[in-house]
Amino acid sequence: MRRFRITAVACTALLNICLIEWAAASADKTKPEITFQVSDNVEAILDKRCYFCHDEDEQKGDIRLDNLNDLDTPKRLDLFNRMQEQVYFRHMPPKKKKQPTEEERNALLAYLSTELGIHKASTLEGKLQKPEFGNYVDHTKLFSGEYKDEPGFTFDRRWLISEYIFNAKFQRILENKSQIKRGKQRTSVVGGSKIQNLSLANPFLLPNASGVRYYANEDLTGGHLSSMLTNAQNTSEYITNVMVKGKNAKYLPAINQIMALEDQHHATLASRREFLENFIARLSDEIYGDENITLLPSYQPVTLKDVKELEKGEKYKKAPIHVAQKMLKGLEADTMVFRLLMDPVHSEKSDDQFRDLCEQTWFYFGDHERKIQGRMTLLRDYLTEFREHVEKARRKIKPLIYKPLADSEMAVIESAIRKHRNKGHYYGEIIEKCMAEWTHGFEQDRIAAGPPSDELLSALVGQLSVQILERSPDKKEADEYLTLSKSYVAKLGKLKAIQKLIQTFILASEFSYRQEFGGGSADEHGRQMLSPRDASYAIAYALTDQSPDAELASAAESGKLNTREDYKREVLRMLKNRDTNYLIDPILADKNYNDNSTNATIRKLRFFREFFGYPAALTVFKDEKRFGGDRLGNATSRLLNEADRLVEHILENDTNVFEELLTTEKFYVYHDGDNERMQVASDRIKSIYEHFKDTDWKNFKKEDLLDHKEFLKEVKMRSIDPDKLDARNRQGDTIKLFKKSMTTITARLDKGQKEAAPFDMYRGYGSEFMQGENVAKFFNYRKDNWDWAAIQPAKVANRKGLLTHPAWLIAFAKNTETDPIHRGKWVREKLLAGTIPDVPITVDAVIPEDHNKTLRARLAGATGAKSCWKCHVHMNPLGNTFESYDDFGRFRTQESLEYPDNLIEKKPDKPKERNHLLDLRDIYKTLPVDSKGYLKGTEDDALDGELKDAIDLVERLGKSRRVRQSIIRHAFRYFMGRNESLSDSKTLIDAEQAYVDNGGSFDAVIVSLLTSDSFIYRKPIEN
Amino acid sequence: MTNRRNFLRTSALSAGAMSLAPSFNQLFAAQGVTGTGMPKRFIFIRKSSGIRPSEIALPDFSNKDKALDEKKQPLEVDLDKHELPKWLRGLDAHKANMTILQGLSAKMSENVHFSYSSVMGCFKSNRNTLSAIKRATIDFELAKLFPSPFGHVELSFAGGRTGIVSGYSAPSPQTRNYCYADPDTARSELFKSVLNPQAVNSDNDMLSFLQGKEGLRTSGIRGHEKRRQEAQIESINAIRQRNKKLIALSGSLAKHLPELAPVHLNGGANASTPEKQEAMTEVLISALKAGLTNVVTYTIDDLGTPVTGLPGNETDRVGIHPLGHDEAFGGVPAWKTREQIRISHVNQINTIVEKLKQAPEGNGTMFDNTMIMYFPENGETHHGIGLESPFLIMAGNNCNLDIAGRYIRLPVLGTEGHKTLGNLYTTLLNAHGNPIEHYGDLDLEMARKKLDQSGAIKQFMT
Repeated sequence: MRRFRITAVACTALLNICLIEWAAASADKTKPEITFQVSDNVEAILDKRCYFCHDEDEQKGDIRLDNLNDLDTPKRLDLFNRMQEQVYFRHMPPKKKKQPTEEERNALLAYLSTELGIHKASTLEGKLQKPEFGNYVDHTKLFSGEYKDEPGFTFDRRWLISEYIFNAKFQRILENKSQIKRGKQRTSVVGGSKIQNLSLANPFLLPNASGVRYYANEDLTGGHLSSMLTNAQNTSEYITNVMVKGKNAKYLPAINQIMALEDQHHATLASRREFLENFIARLSDEIYGDENITLLPSYQPVTLKDVKELEKGEKYKKAPIHVAQKMLKGLEADTMVFRLLMDPVHSEKSDDQFRDLCEQTWFYFGDHERKIQGRMTLLRDYLTEFREHVEKARRKIKPLIYKPLADSEMAVIESAIRKHRNKGHYYGEIIEKCMAEWTHGFEQDRIAAGPPSDELLSALVGQLSVQILERSPDKKEADEYLTLSKSYVAKLGKLKAIQKLIQTFILASEFSYRQEFGGGSADEHGRQMLSPRDASYAIAYALTDQSPDAELASAAESGKLNTREDYKREVLRMLKNRDTNYLIDPILADKNYNDNSTNATIRKLRFFREFFGYPAALTVFKDEKRFGGDRLGNATSRLLNEADRLVEHILENDTNVFEELLTTEKFYVYHDGDNERMQVASDRIKSIYEHFKDTDWKNFKKEDLLDHKEFLKEVKMRSIDPDKLDARNRQGDTIKLFKKSMTTITARLDKGQKEAAPFDMYRGYGSEFMQGENVAKFFNYRKDNWDWAAIQPAKVANRKGLLTHPAWLIAFAKNTETDPIHRGKWVREKLLAGTIPDVPITVDAVIPEDHNKTLRARLAGATGAKSCWKCHVHMNPLGNTFESYDDFGRFRTQESLEYPDNLIEKKPDKPKERNHLLDLRDIYKTLPVDSKGYLKGTEDDALDGELKDAIDLVERLGKSRRVRQSIIRHAFRYFMGRNESLSDSKTLIDAEQAYVDNGGSFDAVIVSLLTSDSFIYRKPIEN
Repeated sequence: MTNRRNFLRTSALSAGAMSLAPSFNQLFAAQGVTGTGMPKRFIFIRKSSGIRPSEIALPDFSNKDKALDEKKQPLEVDLDKHELPKWLRGLDAHKANMTILQGLSAKMSENVHFSYSSVMGCFKSNRNTLSAIKRATIDFELAKLFPSPFGHVELSFAGGRTGIVSGYSAPSPQTRNYCYADPDTARSELFKSVLNPQAVNSDNDMLSFLQGKEGLRTSGIRGHEKRRQEAQIESINAIRQRNKKLIALSGSLAKHLPELAPVHLNGGANASTPEKQEAMTEVLISALKAGLTNVVTYTIDDLGTPVTGLPGNETDRVGIHPLGHDEAFGGVPAWKTREQIRISHVNQINTIVEKLKQAPEGNGTMFDNTMIMYFPENGETHHGIGLESPFLIMAGNNCNLDIAGRYIRLPVLGTEGHKTLGNLYTTLLNAHGNPIEHYGDLDLEMARKKLDQSGAIKQFMT
């Protein structure tokens, strides 16, 4: 591993060279471009170290270096970037070749950096800041103690919000309230991706990769801004049109105050319109008496298309009543028709009379001819059914009762009607003319009232700033926003101006960037402590996605966030807090996994989710046929849910956390974590089994159930009601459903099992049901011989730790095969702090097919060549140990050779009906699995060596100090949002010591990291 | 053809810039053009309730071809020697530009009643949940290759909604596009700089304020923070410039401003289905002619779209969902009404083809650089299972795919040489400059049978 070692000091030096050269290049911009010429000393190094494989005669990897002077600039810079990486990471020259001296290497790097810097084209610096390059900082040096006196710090920075903070911010602004149901209990939760009824585009999505994903090195780009423009517009409209008009009068009260007159006018207009639309005919009769009918246009019924006779042999199935009802609703006529049908005055009318009544009503109102045609067609074809519907739904249909408005309003309305009505006007026309007059009048009133006062606009600015940016504006800012608001009002009117102001606040960079700047006086190293407000956000966002809670905000405001002890107090408080429930996974939430929540700070659990990367199991597209059962999606969701629960359980115990995660033998399988509830559910199934097991239930007729009426009433088997023996649902009648349930219940207990897997598997919903019962298959449990444990987590055979959990194994598998390379790569990088170079772009990595070999054997053939093995030696011997598990994470000793010519038995592709005992997997020839491997890289001779299988591997990893340190390095990156450097050495050593001193507590690691110099202290950015 | 490795080796762009990244940066990229110097245009027309393979098969196949077609065996015939099915005859004059593509499967997307975003993204939709959107849909991927002021435009009659509502296309993972749900809204929004320049100007006032505020911050910061701040100001400025450009263009945009009948005002509650479709098509064509976009996705109906005014059902309102279950209206058997719905769609395709053929561009017409793809959102029937997903493609003379004038039936799912929606979309991307190895999720039956299924459809590549 030594050849990969590189120090942060060297990295900084390289960066400095680049920056200096960029500056020089900028100054030289006016000079004419001269022909490119490789410098003599570099030419000499290339000649000595590189041309052997990369010149005119030989171009390994299609790379040629002896013609650099002839390349055009883009091609040369592309090649220089690749050379820079190869030399910097010491991938070139190859290990077997003679290596350049350090002077030669540095000279070449300096040259490449300079040339790339001139064109601002270097890509290496950006890469070194990415999480996947974190391990290039020397591990031994970090923990050696040699650098522990280096003062730790982080540069002042702004950190782009994450996808989770984006959601949380909008949820806070829009006062989102979510609940989930665990068992029968409803609980409030925070988090998730639902933001009221708005569909906002989240431009801050994190990359889809395992490991630490959220770093402070991403910039706000035009892409983000473009999405945020639309988000800001949608949010502003939602605030003014929904939130402010809602129940909470305290929500941005300045908006209601500014809009008061307009709102009052709208309410008046709406009230007048509603009254007229319902009662204009009656009112007109009262005003005009017998003359009214003469003023109306002359009645013209619509023509309907004739119904043609069907051609001979042609079949016709009339659309059902519910479709017609929906159509009538779409034509805005259902309420009126049903009310009229319920009205005793009209209900006795013949069909023709009733249709005439409706049509005349619509005609005189002036409804569009097409609309009337559509309604009349439905009345022609469905009137009988509508009458029947009204009889059944009588209670739900509210009659229309005449209620005049206030006298003053009635006077205004009558006056307007008299003013605008002319002979031949439809009622609808009269209404529109009246409305136009009133609308115009109100507009004039508002113009006369003038624009909102500065005081009101200032109040609005202040409220928006607090609601959106969570702080009051300073005087200068307040003045700027006031000026802007006034210009918006002048150009756009009040409502649009308010919306535009909201958008302006949301689009401020302060909304999208977290601020982390030092404040106060600098220490002898030039470091400042985080300013209290920034510190409160840094702590809050380290542990949650939400802004600081009340106590943390108060500590920042009252001078109680100024010392390391202050930080410790707040971090410990938040870690202990169990008052808030956090939604864990928005995808599981979308799939209605209601127990997908935790009451521990969410980012603690999320670290391990991201570190292990097991949530990716949901995104690997898999095949139900090969799974051998149905509802694979549900089963995978439950699997993920239960992996989360296991991690949560280990974190809750907070003892030897890393070792437990890697080596626990206990798992959750089809269990919601509530042992009491699960035991009750299991006992219920057992009682049913006990009651019927000695009866001839398989031959029961439905009447036989009456002999067990009392029992059935007590235990409540789903859809089996002894008082309704003739009932049926889509799955069958009562007796069929009973036998179906009894079949699964019997299978769960008839082989001496002590407990029964809970609930009516395969038939159910709601709180007395758990979807995803096929999760058992991942753990090799046959559901007809499953000794399910009511108390979990419980021991599962052939499993040890998360790396043998099917969720992790699926996440690191392909669609139809295992993936030893990526499983091994994960162990190397995440647990052994090792590095693996990217796949060279000249390599087309494909494992060849061979119908008579295991995947391992095929992989060995593909990666055995020297040039491949130099990297694969770091992955395959680790990943191969997991071959004891297939790509669904099922334990195996034989590998199926799934090729058509190896097929032994073909099973049906789909079951005729759902049957949990079926296994639809086709049977193929097999070969024995070879799960042997080799561990190297723990730096511990007692642990490195030959491996029997994955269990052997994880047991050794669980004992490794390097593994512990590697996890701590990743935790550092997660909580700091950056890669570690040698100046963070003390922080890492302290975190490891805290873990050891506190019995393997991860909380202790978090406290140590969040009270470290690396977290607390900031330095101004250097040029 | 450029393959992935060559592309990575030779391109000045990083892999990230061209990969399926969650980014809207295409708005700020250079204008994409083809070898002819003209942008390529793509129109995706989604229909609901399936297209039955037998409905789009040629009625006068030879006995041998008919047998092959019915047995789902590979088949290729020239369209100019055959009659089109009755509902397609509106396009008789354009057979040379037509492809009927049968045999593609769509099992990796959602089927049955609705596919939501998945038919254009090749993933399972989990019934339209945001978190299930795995990647940018194909239309957005193509829009990245051929940028325009609007980037991408989505029009939709889904659900009988009006206004600006959520759409089915996805600009990036876990993101849902918005769409214009009636012709009047589409016209107002697309031609806002002509119809309502005040709104565009007010955006610029806001951006100008933000730019000023961000500019003030640069004075106190250094190093990387200063550079990222400058980049942010540049981003704001880029949007301002785009808006300014739109306003500056308003003169020429005005020439393309579509005129709509008053029946379409306020969502057009009383407009018949053919009227709505004609008006939306008019807006679509105008937007293309004005250069506002090069990619349009047009959901011409879904199962919730109310349909009215069709021949045979002139005074009825009919529902597409009941029709799919053979439940009929107004005495007209369901299959006849379904056919009339398809004819109404074909009329729109014909209008687009005709009008773009009349619009000069370069040495030819705008249609030369246009591809129209008409396809079912949910596979082969009302309750599709994705075994087949028939496509009708109309493409101009400069089409980058070699498919014109043919009826092509590809090998059926689960057999050697079978192609999926993902293969078709990969073909589109590869043929237009994105060398992606495979777009979308793989088919599991093909994977199970170890049959090759990734990459472009080679016989379609020119």
